[in-house]
Amino acid sequence: MMELLPQALTDGILLGGIYITIAIAFSLTYGVMHVIDFAVGEWIMFGAFTGYYLNKWTGLDPFLFLPVIFVLYFGVGYVIQPVIHRVLSGTKGNPFLMGLVFTFGLAIMFRGLALTAFGFYSNSIPSAFSEGSFNLEPLGLTVTIPTVRLVGLGYAVAITLILHYLLKKTNFGLGVRALAQHKDAAGLMGVNSKRTGSYVYGIYVGISAMTGVLLGCILSIGAQMGNEYTIFAFFVVVLAGMGYLAGVPWAALLLGLVQSIFMIYFNPSHTLLAVFAILYIILLISPRGLFGKGV
Amino acid sequence: MKFGFVRVLLLIAALFVAIPAYAEQRNFFKIGVITELSGDLVTGGNITKRGYDLWAQEVNAKGGIEVQGKKYPVKLVYADAQSNPAAGAAAAERLITQEKVDFILGPYSSGVTLAVAPVVDKYKIPMITGSAESPLIWKNKFKYTFGTIPPINFTGATSIKTLTEMKPAPKTIAIIGSNDAFSKATAEAYKTAAEKAKLKIVKFSIVPSGQDMTPLLSAVRSMKPDVIAFGGHDEEHVKFVKALKQIGYTPKALLMHCGITDKAFIDAVGKDGEQIFGTTCWTGTAKTKSKVLWPNAAAYAAASQKAYNNPGDYTQGGCSAAGIAFQTALQKVGAKPGMDEAMRTKLIQALEQIDVQTFYGRVKFATSGEFYHANVGLDPLTVQIQGGHVKTVGPKASVEAPAIYPMKEWKSR
Repeated sequence: MMELLPQALTDGILLGGIYITIAIAFSLTYGVMHVIDFAVGEWIMFGAFTGYYLNKWTGLDPFLFLPVIFVLYFGVGYVIQPVIHRVLSGTKGNPFLMGLVFTFGLAIMFRGLALTAFGFYSNSIPSAFSEGSFNLEPLGLTVTIPTVRLVGLGYAVAITLILHYLLKKTNFGLGVRALAQHKDAAGLMGVNSKRTGSYVYGIYVGISAMTGVLLGCILSIGAQMGNEYTIFAFFVVVLAGMGYLAGVPWAALLLGLVQSIFMIYFNPSHTLLAVFAILYIILLISPRGLFGKGV
Repeated sequence: MKFGFVRVLLLIAALFVAIPAYAEQRNFFKIGVITELSGDLVTGGNITKRGYDLWAQEVNAKGGIEVQGKKYPVKLVYADAQSNPAAGAAAAERLITQEKVDFILGPYSSGVTLAVAPVVDKYKIPMITGSAESPLIWKNKFKYTFGTIPPINFTGATSIKTLTEMKPAPKTIAIIGSNDAFSKATAEAYKTAAEKAKLKIVKFSIVPSGQDMTPLLSAVRSMKPDVIAFGGHDEEHVKFVKALKQIGYTPKALLMHCGITDKAFIDAVGKDGEQIFGTTCWTGTAKTKSKVLWPNAAAYAAASQKAYNNPGDYTQGGCSAAGIAFQTALQKVGAKPGMDEAMRTKLIQALEQIDVQTFYGRVKFATSGEFYHANVGLDPLTVQIQGGHVKTVGPKASVEAPAIYPMKEWKSR
């Protein structure tokens, strides 16, 4: 069975790549707005269906539409954020809790809308990348890498690097980091919290929608698909440390590897149990995530 | 003042008396439908809804169910089980105690059916599920629950037998099932059948529902099984085919039970769906004859095509057949809307006795043994997707087209 180890590690890393794409922007928006957006899976779902229909209408590869989808959903996120901001900045009751309830409600509403608009069947997005795979043969062992999953990993790395650059090397990023650290102090230093929040939420929704296209090419799409991705985004972000962006890729890779290795070497029916157990143990030892840097 | 208070009390009491009286006097059958209209199993839930709706539309188009010379229309009252057994049980309580339905058409999934069955037993309300297939339902011997689709351990062996008749005969099999009542039972049924057929089982795994199975399939690939059999639901079928294609492994045969018979699966996977085998008990081209509603399977498929732009699959057909089973039993006992407990007991006895030919085939419920109250009147079929259509390839008596075996490599399609 040890001959399967290189494949298990490869599958785990590729799976981790998918989890990075789901969780990275979710972590960003939590870090800045301090809202756990339960609608993350639904943004992914909307993006997936947009890619599906654009492909169906034009016959072009869905990956070509990623910039269009990003711009479109950036706009949607930019418009919706002030509503969430208003809920979160209330003075009565518990605004954090209200934010949770609000995004939870959004998720349910979006799921219902999607069911009405897109129907109840599962679908798949065809892409030229979905067709092939290539084999590596290290030490006489065959390792298969599906092209579309490798593209997914490349997309995850690219998004991570772009976000890193944006946050660390630009004035906008400086404002975002200041806002994440102390909203009032950032405001006093001239950071427009409303507008910056809208940009961040727009970026998050745009990235999530693009991720939907990728997932539609790798897996499948359906009006109810969002829920499972919301759960995984939440796990990855909790494991990474809430709002600690740099921890997301490592947490996602760890979850992917655990899942892959457990599925191959142990009882596959207990895979999720293993994922939860590791999550709980790490949180028990380090409540602020893998690196102890979460909020 | 005191007189006024008494009058209000009397008025309220009169209302309570009047409501049940009204319920008994209605001139239509009020039928509760519990199914998955949201959640993970929304596709299957809506397919069952189509089946029940099509039956109700057809009955009402003919003026209703004729009982002792008078026609009574049917009215379906839906309750969403949310793909959640607890929600399904709560929905059953509501339909029975508040909506006071005459009888119930049951859920899509076995998990929800297993939660609803004890509730309908408690209130003594007959239920026929047109979809659920887990053997657990029938092993529990629920007195008030029936099912028109035979359990998977009744149908599963047929496809394995068909595959063992291929040349060169497959020798090894890997069996994977998703971890829900139906899919797990499907995998177990294939395992039992494979053991009987002396196929070597190189892998048997149950995986959490909805998971990415690529790592597991990588392990399966290293064992090079001739046949891969999978028990799951619609979305998982699509993921499974894509994962196999992505890792570049084409078994000689891929068997995926009945979910592949819906046109939507073929649309979703396109040419990758070609030559996939499935197990079913009905197709739109099945050779059936009936005197109730639709004369044969083709007429039903045409009606479905007209209503939904989809010829319907075995689940949808099973749900319409559930309606026909109730219709036949109601006529047999002369039951009218607003049945009391004694009449419902008679209805159960009638359901146990009916033996009716429908567009779906024969409906005859077992009255004892491990298939208690499941339909054992149908012959299981092995089907294969060929040229974008579902073709029956086994058993020999029902063959529409010879099976294509081994499967064509993914990369050369």
